[in-house]
Amino acid sequence: MGIDGAYPLLFVIWLVPLAGAIVNWAFGPQLKRSATIIGSAAIGIPFVATLMAWNAATQSSGAAVGAHQNLFSWMPGFDFGLLLDPLSLIWALIITGVGFLIHAYSVGYMWSDSAIARFFAYMNFFVFAMLTLVLSDNFVGLLVGWGLVGLASYFLIGFWFFKPVAVAAARKAFVINVVGDVAIMFAIFMMFAKIGSITFANVFAHVGALDGWLFWTCLFLFIGAAAKSAQIPLHTWLPDAMEGPTPVSALIHAATMVTAGVYLVARCWPLWNASHSAQLLVGTIGGLTALAGALLGIAQWDIKRILAYSTMSQIGYMIMGVGVGAYQAGVAHFFTHAFFKACLFLGAGIVIHELADEQDIRRMGGMRSRAPVAFFAMFAAVLAISGFPGFAGFFSKDQVVFGALEHGHPWLYAVGIVTAGITAYYMFRLFFVTFFGTYRGDVDPEHEPARGESHAPAWIMALPVAILGIFSVIAGYAMIGSNPPWSRLFAHTFPSENLPPVAIGEGWTTAILFVVMAAGIAIAYARYATPVALANAPARLRLESERMPAVLVRLFYFDDVIDWLFVKPSLALGRFFGSWFDPDFIDGAVRGLVTLSTELAAVVRYFQNGLLRSYALIVVFGAACFAIYYALQGTVR
Amino acid sequence: MTIAFWALAVLLVASAMFVITAKKPVHSVAGLLAHFFFLAITYFMLSAEFLAVIQLIVYSGAILMLFVFVIALLSSGVAPFSVGPDRLPKIAAPATLIVAVLLGFVAYGISREPIVLANEHGVAAGPVGAAGVFGSVADFGHALFTTNLLPFEITAFILMVAVIGVILLAGDHVPYVPTRRRARIVERDMREAIVRAGEE
Amino acid sequence: MRPDLLPVALANYVGLASVIFFIGVAGVVVRRNPLIMLMSIELMWNAANLLFLAFARAWLNNAGHIFAFLVITVAAAEAAIGLAIVVVVFRSRANVDVDEVALMKG
Repeated sequence: MGIDGAYPLLFVIWLVPLAGAIVNWAFGPQLKRSATIIGSAAIGIPFVATLMAWNAATQSSGAAVGAHQNLFSWMPGFDFGLLLDPLSLIWALIITGVGFLIHAYSVGYMWSDSAIARFFAYMNFFVFAMLTLVLSDNFVGLLVGWGLVGLASYFLIGFWFFKPVAVAAARKAFVINVVGDVAIMFAIFMMFAKIGSITFANVFAHVGALDGWLFWTCLFLFIGAAAKSAQIPLHTWLPDAMEGPTPVSALIHAATMVTAGVYLVARCWPLWNASHSAQLLVGTIGGLTALAGALLGIAQWDIKRILAYSTMSQIGYMIMGVGVGAYQAGVAHFFTHAFFKACLFLGAGIVIHELADEQDIRRMGGMRSRAPVAFFAMFAAVLAISGFPGFAGFFSKDQVVFGALEHGHPWLYAVGIVTAGITAYYMFRLFFVTFFGTYRGDVDPEHEPARGESHAPAWIMALPVAILGIFSVIAGYAMIGSNPPWSRLFAHTFPSENLPPVAIGEGWTTAILFVVMAAGIAIAYARYATPVALANAPARLRLESERMPAVLVRLFYFDDVIDWLFVKPSLALGRFFGSWFDPDFIDGAVRGLVTLSTELAAVVRYFQNGLLRSYALIVVFGAACFAIYYALQGTVR
Repeated sequence: MTIAFWALAVLLVASAMFVITAKKPVHSVAGLLAHFFFLAITYFMLSAEFLAVIQLIVYSGAILMLFVFVIALLSSGVAPFSVGPDRLPKIAAPATLIVAVLLGFVAYGISREPIVLANEHGVAAGPVGAAGVFGSVADFGHALFTTNLLPFEITAFILMVAVIGVILLAGDHVPYVPTRRRARIVERDMREAIVRAGEE
Repeated sequence: MRPDLLPVALANYVGLASVIFFIGVAGVVVRRNPLIMLMSIELMWNAANLLFLAFARAWLNNAGHIFAFLVITVAAAEAAIGLAIVVVVFRSRANVDVDEVALMKG
């Protein structure tokens, strides 16, 4: 890619979070709550450094902006280094920027948790892992980051390890992520076998050398991406991962980690551009995930699970975008999504915190007055995720959907439009049910420090949410107008293609998108926010949960199918090995060895009898053998 | 000469057999003494005068005395050897068999291979048996103290090691204690003895 | 007598030495009295010495004498140490039987 600029703060961006993690890990018990300062600073400093790089990059008008730093060469083809090009810059910016806000928010959210230093150590470690992933200039470094991210998410999902559900969820996430890691490893094997290098620059310069293996390389890379980005059918870990603390859900399962798959596909665009079938596969999976996530979002009552399915759905959009070849659109959706999804999660966190860890929206309601900041910020974010014109999500979602049409995938375009309508519906359902009407739960409104805990000042949690809410509105304006920073940044990153003319112009698709979305909002309003609906809210919600179609409640039976396909056979295999193979065959072999050596020893033991004269006899016998040998040899000679 | 050799051979084998078949060790020692005596005569016949003398002095004089001494030492307080353990053991049969087989092989080898003599080895033939010639003390001593000086010295060393080993093994055993501690013990004993003497 | 001639043929000495040597072997293997075993070992040493001297005479090379001398020395050392071991081992026993000393039995 020919990026050879230098950026002295690259190491700061990369390593300061690690330092923060190490300090918090090592001195957590001594630091106690001051760990929050170190932890936040360890993300804030890289954020400032990244911001400076962003400024430099958007100002420059050169051919390719970015910085490259060689670290070391292991052996021919294995060069490790750091790369900061527009793509990784965007990711680093979101990771550190949104990450910093979430860290600041966590100060308030985790204030009363005794393991707060451990929490911040994990969070810093996660940011470090994610930065390793996006800053690597080669596939192996990316895989290292990929694995570390999985590890960090395991730590964080299982942070409350005294909850068996959380531990199970952590394990599930880890196992599915490892499936992806192994797939990526196979892709790297293939690339190295055919091209002989692992750096992005070399691999992308010799895509042709992959010839017959191109599709399989793409497929394995995408399996990795799908596992990390919760694409069908490897998505089942994401909703379960909501067992972690809410900031974790915001950081990992909304803003950064799950978008690693988008990053991977966008990073490897030369591979995808070369393989049409791979594009079709990824685009289709992305579209299906978007639709499935949206449909499942309808059926959920847990506020964080709704958001989890919306994440899955929105990442489906991104994957669809980068899959069909609209890379810039997919990345743009990642950029805006990070803000409004983090805002939604953190707002939901405020609500949950307010209601003493209640997560069921059926027992919420009327939160508008009790959490005004969350209300306003989440309103902006809900509009943004629905794609309401003028809000951040509008610009990017529009780009993605139109990109599908532009690149000749009308079916995916249709899926995108429909999903946008469903998204508007279920997000406003969440919004109306949570914030409107009257409170339906049983937590005392004046529940002040229930367990005599101290609380951090409320603004620590409110401020990040407000900032994210503002960005949910304005983030999209970075990519419109004439010559916006966004286009300047990506002018030389992705290929510009000559696309065939499309049947309807972008203005028309925007209009269609708006109509469908408005219909979704209207249905949600009619069902949940009319005065009649609000008045009978408890009864109506109960009725709705009773009549929910089983296929949605059972999450399209994905878990059941996976259970049936993998878990049950594994258990059967385990029983087979455990009850027969191991005790009889393996142990039998071992026991046989023992018996054999015992028998052998009994024979040999006969000679080791401690009797001097029998030893002498053995010596004589040996000497006799020699004598006989030489005598015979003499005879022959 | 031939008659002498065969007579000696018979006597040697007979005395050796007596050594290993005698009931009492003392009888064995006597047999061994006779054996060594006949052997010395054989050595004389082979012109090895010095070694014949050594055989008599060292073996008969020193080593056999040692055996006798040990027999005397062990006989006190120990069940007599005669009641001791000299039934023919189980391994006698295979041992005899092996010995017979080996003897057979040796005999076979001897009958087959003509044994080469001095001329073919290029050693100068000279006078034999008188002083200053082959086998004499002077001849032997010259070889020992010039060409073979190092082995000779090593022999001395081996003997010294053997002496130390014997002292360690059979010596009056004081369990090893650090010297200083032992010195303290001795000191204490002496002081007690003095005190006792004073009391008396 | 002619200097290169032995009293009898060399093969006779080899045979005689072999017989004495195997008598010694039989003594070690058959007898259970450690002293007699040691004496049998002495027999074996002497059989070897006899061979050394016979060959030295046959080849008129006094290296055989040197060797025999060394053998006698080593035999003396061996007898001394062997007897010391016998004394140590059997001083505390009521019986002199090597088969009783089987502590190394595996």
